Amino acid sequence: MRVQSAFIAVVLFFLAVLAFFCAFAPNFATASNFEDLMAGFSFIAILAIGESFPILLRGIDLSVGAVLALAGMVAFDMTLMFDLPGYLAIPAALIVATLCGALNGVLIVKLRLQPFIATLSTLAAYRGLVYAISGRQLVPELATTPLSDPWIMGLDTYFDIGSATGLSSFIELPWFPLSFFIMIATLVVFGVLLSRTRFGRDIFTVGGNAEAARLAGINVGRTIIIAYAICGFCAGLAALLMIARLSTTTESLGLGMEMSAIAAAVIGGVSLSGGIGGLSGPVIGTFLLGMVLIGLTLLGISQFVQQILTGVILLIAVGHDRFLAIRRQKRLAANLAEEA
Amino acid sequence: MSALSPNIATRLAPHALPLAIAAFVVVFSIIEPAFLKPDNLVGIVRQVAMVGIMATCMTFVIMTGGIDLSVGPVLALSGVVAFFVMEAGYPLPIVLAVGLASGVAVGMVSGAMIAFFGLPPIIVTLAMLSIVRGSALLLGGPDLHSIRDQPGYTFIGTGSIAGIPFSIYLFIAVSLLVIFLQKMTPIGICVAAIGENERAAFLSGHRTRTTKMWLYALSSFGAALAGIIQSSQVHTASATYGEFGTELDAIASVVLGGTSLMGGNGSVARTIVGVMFLGIMSNGMNILNVSIDIQLIAKGAIIALALALAERG
Repeated sequence: MRVQSAFIAVVLFFLAVLAFFCAFAPNFATASNFEDLMAGFSFIAILAIGESFPILLRGIDLSVGAVLALAGMVAFDMTLMFDLPGYLAIPAALIVATLCGALNGVLIVKLRLQPFIATLSTLAAYRGLVYAISGRQLVPELATTPLSDPWIMGLDTYFDIGSATGLSSFIELPWFPLSFFIMIATLVVFGVLLSRTRFGRDIFTVGGNAEAARLAGINVGRTIIIAYAICGFCAGLAALLMIARLSTTTESLGLGMEMSAIAAAVIGGVSLSGGIGGLSGPVIGTFLLGMVLIGLTLLGISQFVQQILTGVILLIAVGHDRFLAIRRQKRLAANLAEEA
Repeated sequence: MSALSPNIATRLAPHALPLAIAAFVVVFSIIEPAFLKPDNLVGIVRQVAMVGIMATCMTFVIMTGGIDLSVGPVLALSGVVAFFVMEAGYPLPIVLAVGLASGVAVGMVSGAMIAFFGLPPIIVTLAMLSIVRGSALLLGGPDLHSIRDQPGYTFIGTGSIAGIPFSIYLFIAVSLLVIFLQKMTPIGICVAAIGENERAAFLSGHRTRTTKMWLYALSSFGAALAGIIQSSQVHTASATYGEFGTELDAIASVVLGGTSLMGGNGSVARTIVGVMFLGIMSNGMNILNVSIDIQLIAKGAIIALALALAERG
């Protein structure tokens, strides 16, 4: 129920913003615009889904941008430097990303580092690793070679659902990018994991109170490591979609993208105090941010104002989260008083 | 394990960082004697002066369990603001005052939201990062504004007194001031009390909220001063300075100095040791021609290792 009040608020806000731009921004309510929105923000939504797991554990993962770059570079190296087929490069990139995430978890659990510090240091280390293995620098002539592997480039496919279902005779539908469906699949898989399995319950318990979870017999360390591994996996998935869209990669891919992922998760109602939130919120939060960026551009408003507004939306979201937390406390206090 | 070795380890733990600095200095100077030349040593301090000022000013914020991610854009904003005030023909003292005030104002806004509304510092300063960057760009655009014929302003970043760059004097002055605040004034005790147990500090009559707000103002002040030094050093002001990573360097210096992100323990003097450690590492690796990738990996590994050891100690 608590999750719902924050979630409903962000959905309402999302719809209000959508209605506003459809009414006032020229060319906003067009099929091609929604296609851009889906293609340009699906991979950020996947990052935000991943980032939600550490935040649910009252942690944070600052390294997702660097993990994303590393996974992208692994796929780049394998297909272009070693001429390996994409069906090997894709799992390899995902495995590397997952291991990077798991290493974050191990640093936090085994070395007892604070998540902020652990992922801050791996942010530097993974980014360094990207430069070290960069095929663009090891083999300079590759720097201008676009990715051509059919498996990877296949991730940048669009589906014309409108014609396929015959709906296009009634309404002009956008072509749906494959990345959007992958994002939905990620949402469903991890959403079920979080809400229907014992592991999901453990996440909420550990995030709510790690000490209580330990005393209740939950393997806290394992839960944390798996959660960070999931975050890494999502970064790897986002990397593949991103390099397919760009048809290349760079050493600075995803620089600062952890900030967008964290912002989207917080806007989507995942509480930084741990144990509260879901995965649909962060996805809606991502598209909310995306819609504001695209909508304001169409309105001809300077991108600098967009940055300011992004910050303001983040403040509103966190202020709302705080407001709900205070109300929760008051209700709890009132209930306790009644019982006494 | 003999009974003696854990004892030695426990005793050495608080001095691990200075010892590590000494070890690296010895290694670097054996491999490359030029490392110990006075020019190079002064160069190291000059290089770290800006991060050093930001890190010392941010130490109190981190000691209260907070964090300030917005220092990068504040650095850019103060440079741009100072540039425009200078363009308008105002004298140097007013230029500096307005530039620094712009930073302090940003810090007071984030501080007020954190202290009075209880919002989480990491998100508030993340939002301010975006807001301040946008405002700086709105004000100055993405272009470089060159600063010409301003000998007074240029002196701050490039001038030197008795062979030592002026920015180093500023770093020393700010450090001494903040150490003084911590050791000699009630602020130091209040900061430690907030970090240890904010509720208890509030109940024992400390003005925790107002203090917290001013701590964020101090952190932003440091960033604004660094911004003025930066724009003066490179003779240009730009809204794009203080790019992503600036705040992380400052935070890394503070936590290397032993200040816990959970709040409570912390020391400004040790932050300066942390700053010097990172500065010596990067200078030494540059002299030894270590490539950027290895430098980044080494930096990450060292931060994780140092703090893991501190946790054990």
